[in-house]
Amino acid sequence: MASQNKNLGIYIHIPFCAQKCAYCDFYSVTDTQAMREYTLALTSHIRAKKALGKNRTVDSIYIGGGTPSLLPITHIEKILETVYDVFNVSDKAEISMEANPGTLDGGKLAAYRAMGINRLSIGLQSAHNDELSMLSRIHTREEFENSFMLARMEGFDNINVDIIYALPGQSKETLASTLDFVISMAPEHISFYGLKIEKNTPFGKDLEIQKIIPDEDAQYEMYMDSCKTLDEHGYIQYEISNFSKKEHACRHNIKYWTCEDYIGFGPAAYSFYGNSIYSYVKDIERYISCFDDEQAILESTETLTPSQVATQYVMLCFRLRAGINTAEYARRFGEDFDAKYSAKIERFLKEKYIIRTTGGYRLSRRGMMISNYILSEILDFE
Amino acid sequence: MTRQEKIRNFSIIAHIDHGKSTLADRILEKTQSIATRDMEEQILDNMDIERERGITIKARAVKLNYKAKDGETYEFNLIDTPGHVDFNYEVSRSLGACEGALLVVDATQGIEAQTLANTYLALDENLEIIPVINKIDLPSADIPGVRKEIEDVIGIPADDCPAVSAKTGLNIEDILEKIVSDIPAPCGDENAPLKALIFDSYYDSYRGVVIYVRVEHGKLRAGTTIRLMNTGATFDTVEVGYMSAFGLMPAKELSAGEVGYITASIKSVADTRVGDTVTDDKNPTADPFPGFHAAQPMVYAGIYPADGAKYPDLRDALEKLQLNDAALTFEPETSIALGFGFRCGFLGLLHMEIIAERLEREFNLDLVTTAPSVIYRLTLKNGEVIYIDNPANYPEPDQISVAEEPVVKASIIVPTEYVGGIMDLCRDRRGDYKDMKYLDNTRVELHYTLPLNEIIYDFFDALKSRSKGYASLDYELAGYLESKLVKLEVLLNGEVVDALSFIVHADKAYSRGRKIVEKLRDNIPRQLFEVPVQAAIGGRVIARETVRAMRKDVLAKCYGGDITRKKKLLEKQKEGKKRMRKLGSVEVPPETFMAVLKLDEE
Repeated sequence: MASQNKNLGIYIHIPFCAQKCAYCDFYSVTDTQAMREYTLALTSHIRAKKALGKNRTVDSIYIGGGTPSLLPITHIEKILETVYDVFNVSDKAEISMEANPGTLDGGKLAAYRAMGINRLSIGLQSAHNDELSMLSRIHTREEFENSFMLARMEGFDNINVDIIYALPGQSKETLASTLDFVISMAPEHISFYGLKIEKNTPFGKDLEIQKIIPDEDAQYEMYMDSCKTLDEHGYIQYEISNFSKKEHACRHNIKYWTCEDYIGFGPAAYSFYGNSIYSYVKDIERYISCFDDEQAILESTETLTPSQVATQYVMLCFRLRAGINTAEYARRFGEDFDAKYSAKIERFLKEKYIIRTTGGYRLSRRGMMISNYILSEILDFE
Repeated sequence: MTRQEKIRNFSIIAHIDHGKSTLADRILEKTQSIATRDMEEQILDNMDIERERGITIKARAVKLNYKAKDGETYEFNLIDTPGHVDFNYEVSRSLGACEGALLVVDATQGIEAQTLANTYLALDENLEIIPVINKIDLPSADIPGVRKEIEDVIGIPADDCPAVSAKTGLNIEDILEKIVSDIPAPCGDENAPLKALIFDSYYDSYRGVVIYVRVEHGKLRAGTTIRLMNTGATFDTVEVGYMSAFGLMPAKELSAGEVGYITASIKSVADTRVGDTVTDDKNPTADPFPGFHAAQPMVYAGIYPADGAKYPDLRDALEKLQLNDAALTFEPETSIALGFGFRCGFLGLLHMEIIAERLEREFNLDLVTTAPSVIYRLTLKNGEVIYIDNPANYPEPDQISVAEEPVVKASIIVPTEYVGGIMDLCRDRRGDYKDMKYLDNTRVELHYTLPLNEIIYDFFDALKSRSKGYASLDYELAGYLESKLVKLEVLLNGEVVDALSFIVHADKAYSRGRKIVEKLRDNIPRQLFEVPVQAAIGGRVIARETVRAMRKDVLAKCYGGDITRKKKLLEKQKEGKKRMRKLGSVEVPPETFMAVLKLDEE
């Protein structure tokens, strides 16, 4: 019977950080006093949503943040136990957790392994301590190195490392050495993000910082050079910003890009379930006090029409190296991709921003780099 | 005392910021025409834009009653004047409706060019001038110095002139008594044929045009058929009355010496030009007021809706504004780059800015305005003389025998320490130095002849920035002078963009061309391909820049919450694209056109 169940992903947001990074606009608070209450609210909330797991098999759990590794081990354990108890979690499920170097030790890592976490995502961002301090990261390169080794020793065989490029004042050389350093550690997965200046962050308010961000042409070269280095070291690009060794693409994240169902818990968490997208308030106090009143904690909710889902699917699938499979598209949405899009994508095909694959279309790397432009030209959100 | 002996008609002359509106408010308050608590700040300036910019665009008038120390109650008619050089003609007509003027001088700053120019206009109209020294409450006030300056510069005695603070209300009564004692009463002949001067008019959607007049001779009642002597149009008077601080107050009649309004179901202010004479159609006056001329536009620019579909809305809006602004002209024009729009004529750059701002604010339109142009006079090889206000119509160089451009006589008053910088500026703007006069030890008045097209862009701003804000400017049109003119064309991706062409003096062509291509390079968003941006004269490229191809436009992270954000972002991007103007294969947002207008900002 279980084989007929639809898969489901679960996202759990841990909104605590030791300090806010200068570029980050994810929701988190630095006051950690509410951790206990938060874990209680979160686990109760998960229990209350049991019905969403009916006839479903959970094949991925992602604990993100914030800084989940800041939460005491017992809390993480409580949360995961609740999920295992409430939902039908596959024993092959990918269970990821984000962790910050400087918050990890051998004991914690062993405990994570023991409670079923099998994938670790470590935020390094840069291998240069001066860049790290500019970003207001709490750790050094050496602490990262130590955390990474400890994780290996505790048996983590699926580790992601985050890198950010286009940092203020960054040169091609400092980026290349960060990348070389990470490759030398041989993680299974590397996320390689371009810095985006967000309005309500210290960087967003700092015009001096913004002035020294590498320009468009430098960023393009940084991206292309880095992709090439990653290629050469056997990291396969499977999404605009994500690279992995064979079989190590992140199952949870692929759900986002293929419009599979996932449900999120915690303030600021998003869910995509059925054809609905909903999210919870970015307010931990409200979440703690009102978790049992869904209406009171919802920030937004929107039900998409089938054609809106199809458009979102195209938007997200084009992030993937695999691109759009037209047969899959027809199966899911009952319409012909070529009939709808071939005229619109023609000029991009001609310029090789879009490339034909055996089953459909994908963006070339050059195309990925201007995907906003391409998508805004070809998509129509009613 | 006769009726007319108790009337005083006067206006206030002041430089921007010297406190004219505040003074008017105090006078209203002291004459109790309006209760202090009901008073909205600066009641005479009642258009939003005027209040924000602190300038008066249209004349206004108000009738006040003042009980003087001699026990008599006098009728004061305060006629406000526009405070900008663009509206010089209106100023002279407003002054023409008065017997006297208050000359307000800031006790901390002294006389400015604009004040001086308007004082001369007032002297031309034989007005009695009462100097008023304002802002004496400020610590830096120099009352004796300003008194001396008034005497030295204007040549009128100022030893007993009122020194006041409009802000605090100090000594305002001195002014009111001075008005009674010094300004002559009108002495019109009530029994002569009707002769009244139009000094303002505006369109009211219920009454039609409301004309503000000063009656010189005769009387006017409702029912009388009036004739406007310059346009020849006749109308049946519906109502006459006075402008009180509370609005229009109908009256039985207006008679010699009085200031009031007329309504006559008139549909457009184009019929009721400022300066025209109103008379009785059956018994007309033999001598209309001299010097009438319809205000002529001096500056032209194309105005286009940013969204092409809004063309009919723009036409409606211009028609509505024109009901109230006879100096605004417009006619349809098309541009390859901008589509359908209008070629509009304005009195000056301020007038243009005000119209554009009103269109955007009051009619909710998003506009693209092309570079303003003056009217060039060209004599062709075949002897024909043509006037060109649109670079698109500029003939080929080999057809032109003589090219001339309009020039102005400019007067600039500036503290001595900034004279060097201002002279450099005038030289840079092709100014022809005439003379320099010391007003006192600290300030000089410079006279230049300057090409109008050099001052319509940003001359005033440059003047201010080179004098820490102290320089002031006044100018008047002084005919045409022969000039070396060329048409500068801009090419995007090899194609000429008509909306970006302009006419420029040959010596300036290179630097302007250089600047415009640099500005365009910085303002045109990257396209999928490289776009060469060139400036050319008669097909010869004089400057070139390149807009590099787009290489990065991507959202690095796209998880849960990012997905909704990304959709919104793409929708916005798509929306933005709809506003883009397609110039050949290049897409350009409307802001680009605005950015290149501000060429001289560093």
